[in-house]
Amino acid sequence: MRLLNTTLVAALLMAANLPAQAATNEDVDSSFFPYKNGVPTHDGLNAGVVIDQSNVGQFKEVIDPAMFEFISQGWTKITVGETTSFDLHPNYIQATRDGLGKVKLGEKSGEIEGFIAGRPFPEEPSMDDPRAGEKLAWNYKYGYNWGDNAAIYPFYWKYKDMKSGKLERTIKFNFHFLNYMHRVNQEPLPEITPNPSKLYRAIYVQALEPFDVKDTQLLIHRYENDLKRDSAWLYLGFQRRVRRLASGQVTDAFLGSDVMIEDFEGYNGRINDMEWTFKGAKNILVPFYNHNALPNLSEEHKESDGYQFVEMGDKGDCFPQITWQLRKVYELENKPKDANHPISKRVHYIDAQTFTIPRTLTYDRKGDLWKSWQIGQAHPDHHLPKNKGTGVAIDDSFTMIDVQAMHCTTGQFKGQVDPSLNPARKFTVQNLRASGR
Amino acid sequence: MFLDSHKQQPGRKRPVIQATLLAAAIAACLSGGQALAYTSEDGSTQVNGFVENATYSRRNVGLSKMRNTVLIEGSKDYGEQGAFSNVSFVGAFRATYDGVYDLNDDEFGENAGGAINMQSVGGAGTTAWGQSDISTGVLGFGFDTTENPNEGMVNLGHALHDTDGGVGLGVPVRPCDVDSRGCIDDYLDFDESDLKYPEFNDRLDFLREAYLDATLPTESAATWNFRLGRQQVVWGRTDLFRVLDVINPVDYSRHNIYDELEDIRIPMWMATGEYRMGATETFDDLNMQFVWNFDKFRPNSLGQGGTPYAILDAGSFFRAMKNCWDNGCSVSNFAGGALSTDFPKHVIGIRDVHLPDWSLSNSQFGLKLEGDYQGVGFSLNALTYRSQLPSLRAVVDNADNPFTPEIESQSYDYLIAFDMYFPRVNLIGGSLDFYVDDIKSVFRVEAAYTDGEEFANTLRPELYSESDVFRYVIGWDRPTFIPFLNEKRAFLISAQLFGEYLVDHERETVNGIEAGNPNWEINHVGTLLVKGWYQNDRVSPQVIMAHDFKAHASVIAPSIDWLISDNLRLTVGANVKVGDGEQEFDDCRACNPFPPFTGDGEPGDTALRNLAGYEPLGRFRSGPIGMAQAEDEFQITLRYRF
Repeated sequence: MRLLNTTLVAALLMAANLPAQAATNEDVDSSFFPYKNGVPTHDGLNAGVVIDQSNVGQFKEVIDPAMFEFISQGWTKITVGETTSFDLHPNYIQATRDGLGKVKLGEKSGEIEGFIAGRPFPEEPSMDDPRAGEKLAWNYKYGYNWGDNAAIYPFYWKYKDMKSGKLERTIKFNFHFLNYMHRVNQEPLPEITPNPSKLYRAIYVQALEPFDVKDTQLLIHRYENDLKRDSAWLYLGFQRRVRRLASGQVTDAFLGSDVMIEDFEGYNGRINDMEWTFKGAKNILVPFYNHNALPNLSEEHKESDGYQFVEMGDKGDCFPQITWQLRKVYELENKPKDANHPISKRVHYIDAQTFTIPRTLTYDRKGDLWKSWQIGQAHPDHHLPKNKGTGVAIDDSFTMIDVQAMHCTTGQFKGQVDPSLNPARKFTVQNLRASGR
Repeated sequence: MFLDSHKQQPGRKRPVIQATLLAAAIAACLSGGQALAYTSEDGSTQVNGFVENATYSRRNVGLSKMRNTVLIEGSKDYGEQGAFSNVSFVGAFRATYDGVYDLNDDEFGENAGGAINMQSVGGAGTTAWGQSDISTGVLGFGFDTTENPNEGMVNLGHALHDTDGGVGLGVPVRPCDVDSRGCIDDYLDFDESDLKYPEFNDRLDFLREAYLDATLPTESAATWNFRLGRQQVVWGRTDLFRVLDVINPVDYSRHNIYDELEDIRIPMWMATGEYRMGATETFDDLNMQFVWNFDKFRPNSLGQGGTPYAILDAGSFFRAMKNCWDNGCSVSNFAGGALSTDFPKHVIGIRDVHLPDWSLSNSQFGLKLEGDYQGVGFSLNALTYRSQLPSLRAVVDNADNPFTPEIESQSYDYLIAFDMYFPRVNLIGGSLDFYVDDIKSVFRVEAAYTDGEEFANTLRPELYSESDVFRYVIGWDRPTFIPFLNEKRAFLISAQLFGEYLVDHERETVNGIEAGNPNWEINHVGTLLVKGWYQNDRVSPQVIMAHDFKAHASVIAPSIDWLISDNLRLTVGANVKVGDGEQEFDDCRACNPFPPFTGDGEPGDTALRNLAGYEPLGRFRSGPIGMAQAEDEFQITLRYRF
């Protein structure tokens, strides 16, 4: 009996580790074009419908629990938009096709083999696959989130008391992203060399205002080896020094906001730090929209090129005034392996087409809902002219609501897919010193 | 000489101008709110800054600081200019008015000090300044008390200790325009306006920064970056301690060792060139920096006798000794080790200060290779510079022997008559930082080895010796949850251990007292920071502690920082010292410089050595923390940024 069990376990593990032989070009088509044969529907849910306190019960099935609660409380409402396809760049899709049958998980969490570029596991996840959650995490990690590089330039964060609506703090940033490896679109392909430590990706953040955080800079290097801890550095203007960050600091409030460094883009950490569980696919409302078609854009911080940021409103001015689409998502739970981590779990709602994470619910150590994390995705063809045709779902607005403290941090983006803003030299430690006076 | 308050001052109108400028700047900042903050439409020009009031109160003293500061900084990007890219100019202007010299002038201004007595344990017990037991009428002793009266004085180290049978000196403490005694030209000679408005001086210290940046691309991915102008060049990875961060001198008179180095580094005119290679086949990041400090030499500002902050109280000692040389002075318990003694001028004291000339040979050069290898940040550093601390060399060649009627002009071994020098120092060192995942900690390491530094040494005829020095700091940072204080935000715990090893240390126990180098051969100072954040980081309490292991002296500095708005920050804190203060050491009273009058043996005869006291060398054993044991303070700082 024991032998039989051992054999079964081994067989299951082998099956999990096998290359994604089952994935086919049809899987790729389904993965990247889920609405080719029609968009999801729900009774009474049409473009233009406004879901508020009065009718939210009718749509409970297609609203995540936190948003449902917010609307039920009368804090906000959802304006439904037409579900549209956010086609990713053809090169990324082609890279996925090229990798079919070559990619498999390693034996341990955080290990992947045979991956070159594209979406590693384009097949539909299965509830029967014990490592399906991990595969979704890889799809997110190697997603076409910001393409090969991009900048949020500039990026306004506002800290607000949700009860009173009092604006406590406004910070102006520039964010820059660069993929060193698995590049599919912008030269050099597929990797920037030399790359001696095999960096996969880097994020560089520069605070511009107000004066007390001016010159604060953050640099994160993520290694291709997921088992290797990120390197992170912080430059503090008042010290004129670069300080290497300990990993714990990525779970702290970044510059006093409600956002951890680990929250960036939905989840900004190692796959191996978490236990990933696929909870199923569903159709729910998520914040996807056409930026240029939004009826109300902010008059504040207007850019010289005429660009206007997303307007905030509703309870405490904590909610982006955008439209939502009914889209297919994968519910993915991640639980920190580290018992000292300040959260017990996150529940991500990953957009099945783009593998961006528009909605995440974060639970504290006791298991109570702590934060609601929303990242609005704008279609690149209805945004800045330079973003048209990039095939990048543009992160365009966010709100992180601490439901326990009744506090929120909102974000207003000017996302730019522009290689000239993100040269490799910007992502060096020396650049922190050079840029920081 | 006393009350030579009409010393020629070309800038005599400066106080009025300074006060007017400062008031105008503050008024402009406050009245306009954001008026002075400016960003051009294209973002290429930016101006911002802050106004700040820092008010500190010291136990038993009262107001010790009422500093009002305006800082305005601006930058202008010029983009590409010819072969260069990223051409930009950065400037920063800082003006300060410290009201303590007006509001507490009994302690720190024109009315500070008073009449003092000198201990004479073998004679009258105490004698007034200028009326010692050994004074005018005894051989060549005594000085002119009309030139050097018993006014505006304090006993050296009076805040910390009694004379207690040791050597004691008197320090004139009024600003140099009120009382010029003991002021050292071009070094420690601050008038009241210099003290009130420290940035307005001949070295244009109101110009905190003024430099031009430019990048020169190369055919490879590497770039050259040049920076020319008045600037701070920061080396190293540690806080508080200056192991590698020694290119700019620092101003300890602002708040001893407790202000951010950013605020107390004295900017210098320098040129730097950086060859930024970026990632190479081996390193994730690599760059080489060349530094040329071509500015006229500046020592650290140690604080002048009579000012609220004087690290090691060295400025008071220097002023006392300079007065001794220039005007004569009373010394407690000197003659025979027990009688107060009035030395005539040109016997003991500090004669001259030899500041390095402004010449190419006196300029300072540095080289740094810095990079990142497999997750380890590193640097290798080399620097040749002039010591920013003075060395007191007992090499005076025109001293007088007061035991004889004639006026000699010669040198005497072991005579406590000094010239100040700032010797050349060569430094090699390096630094590392790395993360250890198993213990969730970042470690920072910095080490430097120098040659050329000089230290007091009572065993040497010239009363100093050179020693190589090895210094290091190991820093440990760990974000740590303390759930009962905050469940959702980690505290930063940061500890550092600073070590100093004098390689050529000399110390002997002679007749029960210690003689030689007063500095410890090996000493360590530990620091601990615990910092927390609440209310979205708008409220941040912290405590900083430091302990000098050999001096047995500690400081505890709790504070709480409240960011009231994006613009307004209030910091309330305290600075409390605990542990030992004064320390004894051989004071060379019995060094026998004038045999046979001062003893039967040879100069420096150790058989005669049996006397020690707190002054003047105990300060090197007490260290900056021990010497400030009497300086407990309550501190409030309000800063408005724009």
